[in-house]
Amino acid sequence: MRRGAGLVVLVAAIGLVASACGNGVIDKSTDGVPPAEATGTLRVLLPSFPASTKGREAFEKVVEDFHKTYPKMKVEPDFATYNNLNEKMSTSIAAGIPYDVMVTGVGWVQPFASKRIFTDLAAYGVTPDVIREKSIAAMIQPATYDGKLYAYPLVADARAVALRVSAFKEAGLDPDNPPTSLEELKVAAEKLTKRDANGTITRSGMDLASPTGFRQSFTTFLASTGTPLYVDGEPNFDNEKGLETLNWIKSMINNVQPYGQQNAAQQPLVLTGEAAMGIVGGAVDCTDKGIGQANCDDLKFFRFDSGKEIEYVGGDLASIGSRSRHKDAAWAFIQSLTQPTTLDEIAKLNKKLPAYKDAANSPQAKSNPLSKFVAEGLPHAINENSPPSNWLEMRGNFDIQLTQAVLGQKDPAKVLANLAGQSR
Amino acid sequence: MSATVEERPTPALTEPRKVAPAKDSRKLIRSQVRAGWLFLAPALLHSGIFIVIPVVAAIVLSFTDYSFGDSWSWIGFANYSELFQDVDFRAALANTLLYAVVVVPLSMAISLAVAIGLNQKIKAIGFFRTAFYLPTVTATVAIATIWLWIYNPGSGLANGFLSLFGFAPGRWLSDPSTALPSLMVVGIWQGLGTKIIIYLAALQGVSRDLMESASLDGANRWQRFVNVTWPALGPVQFFVLVTSIVGTFQVFDLVYVMTRGGPGTETHVLVLDIYQNAFQALRLGFASAETVIMMLVIAIFIGLGRLLQKADVND
Repeated sequence: MRRGAGLVVLVAAIGLVASACGNGVIDKSTDGVPPAEATGTLRVLLPSFPASTKGREAFEKVVEDFHKTYPKMKVEPDFATYNNLNEKMSTSIAAGIPYDVMVTGVGWVQPFASKRIFTDLAAYGVTPDVIREKSIAAMIQPATYDGKLYAYPLVADARAVALRVSAFKEAGLDPDNPPTSLEELKVAAEKLTKRDANGTITRSGMDLASPTGFRQSFTTFLASTGTPLYVDGEPNFDNEKGLETLNWIKSMINNVQPYGQQNAAQQPLVLTGEAAMGIVGGAVDCTDKGIGQANCDDLKFFRFDSGKEIEYVGGDLASIGSRSRHKDAAWAFIQSLTQPTTLDEIAKLNKKLPAYKDAANSPQAKSNPLSKFVAEGLPHAINENSPPSNWLEMRGNFDIQLTQAVLGQKDPAKVLANLAGQSR
Repeated sequence: MSATVEERPTPALTEPRKVAPAKDSRKLIRSQVRAGWLFLAPALLHSGIFIVIPVVAAIVLSFTDYSFGDSWSWIGFANYSELFQDVDFRAALANTLLYAVVVVPLSMAISLAVAIGLNQKIKAIGFFRTAFYLPTVTATVAIATIWLWIYNPGSGLANGFLSLFGFAPGRWLSDPSTALPSLMVVGIWQGLGTKIIIYLAALQGVSRDLMESASLDGANRWQRFVNVTWPALGPVQFFVLVTSIVGTFQVFDLVYVMTRGGPGTETHVLVLDIYQNAFQALRLGFASAETVIMMLVIAIFIGLGRLLQKADVND
């Protein structure tokens, strides 16, 4: 009898602890409740607002706008980075307190949609056809899964190639006629590479923007040959073009750029003069706070073209968690987040482009020569195209295995075959 | 005389004495048992919630394809069979074993040597003890950041030091041949403090009588160490061995901050692979299978350690 009572007390205590751990922070659903009366906490995960005063101020403006519709709801932000985005999402799901609004990148949406972690936005009147009228074309496909729209594009992260005019002239190359194909790029990069007496590279001929992983570089260079990484979810790199591209990257590393090269600020090396040519992001600050006007004047931008002119475009997209108890409020928050002025602000803060239809005429595109260039190049946008549902797993596999091929630890053909086999 | 003797064990006097102590002792034992369970309860509850439940959950999850989505299914041993064909897992297991095999004995040997040094009557002993213990109480992320600078190919201390002797600069963490050894150096250095403290405490417990007897018998320092100190350190050696093995198998933060497992899979270790599979690839079932294998490997290593140390199971 006593034992039974003790057991009951123990089970009750464990139950109390478990319930305190598990359900304490979950609100009642506000869906269907008039916005003015809805209460609770809207949890939002965003890598779009940097951890700076300006970033926080920009976010507060979004919250203010949201509170015009949902005055009683509290907004709890989690300013993640792309490095820990998956960890944040998976642990929140495992803990039973998933985020209501999740901002992710290109390549994230389809896998999460396939796992039913994101909600189909059709319930809020947003379909691929609707978004096509509002957003840049490059962001439609990454936001779509199985013909439905699971994310609303916020900003586009477009990449171009920059060259140093002075370095080109010094090497006897014509900066007005930049190399664009893989073959031309290698010849030019070798001429532009500077070494010391020991043969150590002191200035890279070309920055492939891949200090430790070659997934995006491989995708970019492969696409420039007219070969998308995936087609309809099926691998499209285990072929002659894929092998040619991987061998080309292998021939460049430790030849025109040391493996693992990056500066402390993790800025594109061509902007700091550590490389004569290289991949750059979507904006450059030509003021004295940035790289300065003299440096800017020494830069020219171009796009890769080994048969197809391309520009790699990633970006930020906002989704609603399928387990959210505040889906209506989450949609209202996304509406506040996608106000054109907010998108302009996010683009400026992150050196990206707003993803609205007329991005080429956005304040960001007009603010600096690089943003103007990448905005004009959006019609040439490429990315992984249609990655498989296990893309989140494949991202890491690509980074590891391509590096092994580039460093000569594994046969490039076998690596590509293996990656193709792992894509499912 | 005999009558007097026969009268001694009178029932009236002895019976109450027999019954009363038995009741009392049973009561005492019961209350002691209750008190024991009461004192154990917090630890049991803690272990139950934070050790037993997660371990059972990991074992159960390892037989599923759970990936944080809405649906999951039992897949039997599929995760385990996939695991042994997974090149990343095999690389991680090999790297972790190599890391443990190098770091554990080296760090134990260095710690013991330093502890013996710190057990002598030398000046500023407090300073040295503090200095050696400092890395242990410093956050691994901070340590890793400092070592990242030391290993920086351009402006790092390591290359700066080597250049004094005319050596070419090394790419410590980005060169496949030096990446893992570079991490091992940091791992050894970081783990010294705890081991030194434990060895120091054990050294101070070595019987002075035995040491004096050995001296009187003409034993030199080395003979005293081999025949008196070393046997006395047996249980401590086993404790340090077990905690070191567990620690090296769980190496993660150092690798995560310094190399992220690269270049390629050169520094890819088990916990990093588990972490990446669970929280980046979102394959919790697969990662759980990996965790179960890791637990088994650790258990095997500890078993081997017991055999090597010939430790007393009842320590």
